Amino acid sequence: MSKEVATDFLIIGYGNPLRHDDGAGPRVAEIVASWRLPNVRAISAHQLTPELTDALASAEVVIFVDARRTDPHAQPPADVTFTAIGAAEDRAGAADTHTSDPRRLLALTQRLYGRCPQAWLVSVPGVDFDFGESLSERARQGVEVALRRIRLLFTSR
Amino acid sequence: MTQRIVIDPVTRIEGHAKISIYLDDAGEVSDARFHVVEFRGFEKFCEGRPLGEMAGITARVCGICPVSHLLASAKTGDDIFAVSIPPAAEKLRRLMNLGQIVQSHALSFFHLSSPDLLLGYDSDPAQRNVFGLIARYPDLARGGIRLRQFGQEVIELLGGRKIHPAWAVPGGVREPLTPENRDYLRGRLPEALDTVKRALAFFKRYADEHSEEVAHFGNFPTLFMGLVSKDGGRWEHYDGWLRITDSDGNVLVDGFDPRHYAQILGEAVEPWSYLKSPYYKPLGYPDGAYRVGPLARLNICSGMGTPQADAELAEFRQRGNAHGVVTSSFMYHYARLVEILAALERIALLLDDPDLLSTRVRASGGINKLHGVGVSEAPRGTLFHDYEVDEHGMIRRVNLIIATGQNNIAMNRTVKQIAQHWIHGATAGIPEGLLNRVEAGIRAFDPCLSCSTHAIGHMPMIVTLVGSDGAVLAEVKRE
Repeated sequence: MSKEVATDFLIIGYGNPLRHDDGAGPRVAEIVASWRLPNVRAISAHQLTPELTDALASAEVVIFVDARRTDPHAQPPADVTFTAIGAAEDRAGAADTHTSDPRRLLALTQRLYGRCPQAWLVSVPGVDFDFGESLSERARQGVEVALRRIRLLFTSR
Repeated sequence: MTQRIVIDPVTRIEGHAKISIYLDDAGEVSDARFHVVEFRGFEKFCEGRPLGEMAGITARVCGICPVSHLLASAKTGDDIFAVSIPPAAEKLRRLMNLGQIVQSHALSFFHLSSPDLLLGYDSDPAQRNVFGLIARYPDLARGGIRLRQFGQEVIELLGGRKIHPAWAVPGGVREPLTPENRDYLRGRLPEALDTVKRALAFFKRYADEHSEEVAHFGNFPTLFMGLVSKDGGRWEHYDGWLRITDSDGNVLVDGFDPRHYAQILGEAVEPWSYLKSPYYKPLGYPDGAYRVGPLARLNICSGMGTPQADAELAEFRQRGNAHGVVTSSFMYHYARLVEILAALERIALLLDDPDLLSTRVRASGGINKLHGVGVSEAPRGTLFHDYEVDEHGMIRRVNLIIATGQNNIAMNRTVKQIAQHWIHGATAGIPEGLLNRVEAGIRAFDPCLSCSTHAIGHMPMIVTLVGSDGAVLAEVKRE
């Protein structure tokens, strides 16, 4: 639901759930939404569109969750990363209806509303981005790690 | 030597296409083509699927207008079930379609076309985007983003999700609106109305000051087609009779059941595009070219049916020809804004209707006919779904006629008209602003070429001059 509400935490999990591991971000968002925590809002999205700036402007902290392509044979295996991010400096060629990224969305929020939340990018390793709705074992484990760290962030503030 | 200019891909449209402009020996434009280069195959791979899956499958044709396919498919199911759906279900479907019109038109005007209109066709391409727009016009940009969000919320609050809601089904809809969500939408309406009125005021000033664009962006006579209400021929978006008029305001077809579309519409194909080119059969191809969508709906209707939109329609028609018909495709932008206003007024009326909260929203039925047609107005124009099923409800044949295809002939003419007016004596280089005008001519139609196959990353524009021997004479890239 995209109703306007002030929140402490906003989770935006994005990706295409019909492309196996690309659905890791939406999966995280859906699970966080199922926790029904006060002052926590979770949005599952295919893409980062300008309409999300409203939700960003009313949040204290935003956590973007995305999947990234990794080498399935890498040793040690790629892990979930949790990175503090800020608004993009480079605005050139940005933000059409199909291509945006968290930093550009933060910049858009800053320009439209004069503020943007503290932001984190959680990157879940994926190895299978072909057609299909299930997550690979690697991505499934990554989702669990991401959820544990997100919950930790909630309780540490 | 014949030369060809290629714009590939065309940017800020939904989907992927390229434009070829052919130059003669003197460097003057001799022809132009708008190619759709993606192939989807929905009509073929739906064969063998159960009827009940069709709304969900065909909604995936597009991430921008899934609601349009959802409704046309559900209506086709109604026809095959041979049921009359509950009044509340029709009102709820109408509400969702109005939300769809608002969000899609807002996307087209504010996100995709406003950078051209507000920043200028010749402005720096690196800034000619939503960021550049915000820098110069933050209030209008914010209003446009929130207006689209409102339309998306109408869809989401009814269907449970913004994109691909599996809500409309043969026989009706799955759920009514809740009182809480009705009240929430009511609260958002004043801001939405204010935004579209400001946009209308802006666009009218713009059109007054840019008569060259109005005169040369696809300004030619064609037929216009769309649905009108069964009572009085007013603006219609969900159901009604098919009406076709010409550029002199003559009515060629009226009171026509759209389910019998095949009697009057033919479908031509060209080897250089995957997009079909429907035409009005009695005039043949391509003379039977017609336009659909906002411009056509405003040209064919007797009125909008709501007071503020009716006032705007009267003003809109003053900008038309001697018959009050607006023939410039540039005015699609204007028509889109009038339709947003009409949609918001109708949403306000619907939200006051207690039927929206009724739980009687679905008629049950089975396979009572082996052939069904469902027709509604998508934001971009009239949408036809036509299915044949076997006695078990398995799909045997599908025909989809999409709005963008129906504008195909007109889009090609538009590209040619713009190119012929602005491009002269080109050899090794053509100013970027001129090429942007050619692209903008296509954007005026807001073509939707199935964005679910969208590209990842940048969409650079590549302009290539190719000689008749295939040699590349020059190439320009816009990252």
